[in-house]
Amino acid sequence: MREAIEAALGASKADYTEIRLEEIEGTRVVFRGRQLETASMLLDKGGIVRCLVRGGGWGTATFNDLSDLRRRVEQAYEGARAIQGEPIELAMIPISQDVVIAQLGRDFRGVSVSDKKELAQRYNEILLGADPRIVDTQTAYVDSFSRVTIANSEGTYVEEERPQVGVAVSAIARQDADVQQAFESVAGPAGFETVLGHEGLAETVARRALDLLAAPRVKGGRYPVICNSKLAGVFIHEAFGHLSEADFVYSNPKAREMMALGRRFGHEILNVAEDGSVVGLRGTHRYDDEGTPTGRADLIKEGVLVGRLHSRETAAKLGERPTGNARATSYRFPPIVRMTNTFIEAGDSSFDEMIRDVDLGIYACDAFGGQTALENFSFSSAYAHMIRKGQIAEMVKDVILAGNLFATLDSIDAIGSDFRWLGWLGGCGKGQDGPLPVAMGAPHVRIRDVVVGGE
Amino acid sequence: MLDRLMRTAEQAEVFEIESEATTIGFEANRLKSFEVAESRGTAARVIVEGRLGFAASSDMSATDRLLANALESARLGEQVPLHFPGPHAGTNVRVYDGELASLPAQRLMDMGREMIATIVAADPEAHVNLGLARRTRSTHLSNSAGAKVTLERAPLSIDIVVERVSGDDVLVIFDYFSTAVWNDDYRSAADRIAHYLRLAQRQASLNSGRMPVLFAPGGVPALVLPLTVGLNGKNVYRGISPIAQRLGEEILDDKLTLTDDPTLDGRPGSGSYDDEGVPRRRRALIERGVLRGFVYDLKTAAQAGAEPTGNGERGLFSPPSPDFSNLVLESGGTPLSEMIAGIAEGLYVQSPLGLGQGNIISGAFSNNLSLAFKIEHGEIVGRVKDASVAGNVYQDLRRVAAISREAEWVYGGMRLPYVLLPELNVVTEN
Repeated sequence: MREAIEAALGASKADYTEIRLEEIEGTRVVFRGRQLETASMLLDKGGIVRCLVRGGGWGTATFNDLSDLRRRVEQAYEGARAIQGEPIELAMIPISQDVVIAQLGRDFRGVSVSDKKELAQRYNEILLGADPRIVDTQTAYVDSFSRVTIANSEGTYVEEERPQVGVAVSAIARQDADVQQAFESVAGPAGFETVLGHEGLAETVARRALDLLAAPRVKGGRYPVICNSKLAGVFIHEAFGHLSEADFVYSNPKAREMMALGRRFGHEILNVAEDGSVVGLRGTHRYDDEGTPTGRADLIKEGVLVGRLHSRETAAKLGERPTGNARATSYRFPPIVRMTNTFIEAGDSSFDEMIRDVDLGIYACDAFGGQTALENFSFSSAYAHMIRKGQIAEMVKDVILAGNLFATLDSIDAIGSDFRWLGWLGGCGKGQDGPLPVAMGAPHVRIRDVVVGGE
Repeated sequence: MLDRLMRTAEQAEVFEIESEATTIGFEANRLKSFEVAESRGTAARVIVEGRLGFAASSDMSATDRLLANALESARLGEQVPLHFPGPHAGTNVRVYDGELASLPAQRLMDMGREMIATIVAADPEAHVNLGLARRTRSTHLSNSAGAKVTLERAPLSIDIVVERVSGDDVLVIFDYFSTAVWNDDYRSAADRIAHYLRLAQRQASLNSGRMPVLFAPGGVPALVLPLTVGLNGKNVYRGISPIAQRLGEEILDDKLTLTDDPTLDGRPGSGSYDDEGVPRRRRALIERGVLRGFVYDLKTAAQAGAEPTGNGERGLFSPPSPDFSNLVLESGGTPLSEMIAGIAEGLYVQSPLGLGQGNIISGAFSNNLSLAFKIEHGEIVGRVKDASVAGNVYQDLRRVAAISREAEWVYGGMRLPYVLLPELNVVTEN
């Protein structure tokens, strides 16, 4: 294949040509209630060519038939030429020649589908057996092993193996007309060992769904909120991370003003960064989908905006350095600026210190999805407790946190010392089909003032 | 492939997808990208000793592995009393237009420029990201019961995101247009955005509280989405749909009639057959507030002991599951102008954020609003920021004040009018 790729690159008439090929094999095992929905194996293979022409735009061709790469390059080149646009520059990256082999403890490709089914079934049985009010469950085991080749006309030729494996468990409890659900998931770019030993997680999920049945709905209003790591991680990803993606600001001068480097976003205790190279995290890979090596990018340092996430194009446009954040969900899509592993750095406060000061507030935990429309964010915490007079009190449900990013970040007044990384099945959505694997990290975080939707 | 599977299986189905698409992209009002996509793949289902298996592949050279995977999947699969349908006549519906299928890229570029000009005329600060895609999608299904169904569609779809930043105020407006038969209604999406940009130039302040809320078609999905989850045969079979036991009962206001209609000419969601070869037909799901039916795919219908409804839809890598073709909420009798004129103080909702989040299976919705307006003394007076609405459709749709005559296509597959609720909980900064 290497010969064919290099021949096609060599024959290209474009000023920049990039070929990315991917071959993925995966297994999905899903239980719904007592029944197996599916135990299936999937094979996916295809590629994408991108071309840039001076005075033109981006021409792209995606395909499943790999037999005629020259023709695909020709298609992409013609597309690039058909666009008379502004000049597009790409920031320089090192020319890399590399082969990255995945480090797996126990390679899940060697585990039989039957064994994968048995594992999912074991977790599922724990959910089902917990209580008669658990009326439905969903337990999923998903793995995928991807071999990506990224080559460009500058001489970069990188092959990278990208494994992903995980389990997700959810339980639905029902009492009369009230239906509540709880969910947990663990996933990472490693071997089968990642998904073993999570019986406790299934027990927690069953118990939480039942507890939510009895819990009252939270009374809507403004409250101080302490977020657990998972919710704080989702918050920083949804509410801030997406604004840090430079494609938001790079072609919009007003947006650039709003996200001006040097602008104060929060107090000195706040430090936020991104790092696609941290070993063992779900958003990690050695090279992004343009062949840029990943690494750490500081975003907020001591409360001040100091950086952004870039692709080669956005970096060139803003005169900043590429950060290795150009990613695509698969070969079907061109890389755009995406997050990898996004985190709030640990601070100094203990959880006890944080909660002691709160007379009436909410301890909000985990998240059920989230969405951002730039400065506005909205997401639902999976479960929560009232905080009364400095103590954790009764569980409440339907806690939806929404607000304005700037006001909320500015309102973070305590950051915990208990940092955790979290990765789970599913991921980030941004215009391209399917979720992109990412991870988030954070300690407990206290926000002085948040609008909470509810009764 | 079918023959090879039938050496071992009692029943088999082979589903092939082929598609090609040309997409023109504009970014920040400028022509940016030209994408050509070709994709194909095959999915196989088998029943062996009563057990159902599934496998899929986009690798044309890996047929042996695909077939082996399907049989292995069946070995581990559940017993499902599923029967692939034989050949059946389907109703004719127009979803392919040769003119659309051969629309030149140049024409897509001109359309994009035209739409951007309309939007920028309403607000010169607007940055428009636009994607115009012309697709041709063919599916070929054959099964061991003798069904052979080929469906071809050539939809045009236009995706628009407009950002207007002014200081710390960021306004984002989404819109979408699609059609399976050429029509120049694409202009209406640009006109609608221009209209909202003009309205959003003024801001208004609104106090939290219970008040009338007028959902524009773009906002109605916040109400419809929890209903679709309750109407999904999978959730009914699993016993988690709150309306599972309520067929024939009046569950909502009698102004509400919700239909699944695959027979509408010119709509990308229409079709003679579903993705399992079952003929499609128009079905009332909720009729004047009374629950009439759910949506099933073959497997869920078999498990539930229900009649298949022709609602099995699939992508290449997922087996069929229940979905809607075109979801139509019937228009009512009240002109929009009258609905607005009758509101002393209330909220107009165009764009909810976070659709699908929260406990929607229970009917609950709670959405921050990325685009909403205040109505005061019968007029829209300005944009309200940082507002959110919450409620439960199984309670709040029991009393609907009015449904408009006017309706729009939303997200391509829903035909929705304006819906006025007399009272809903609104939370704002005040």
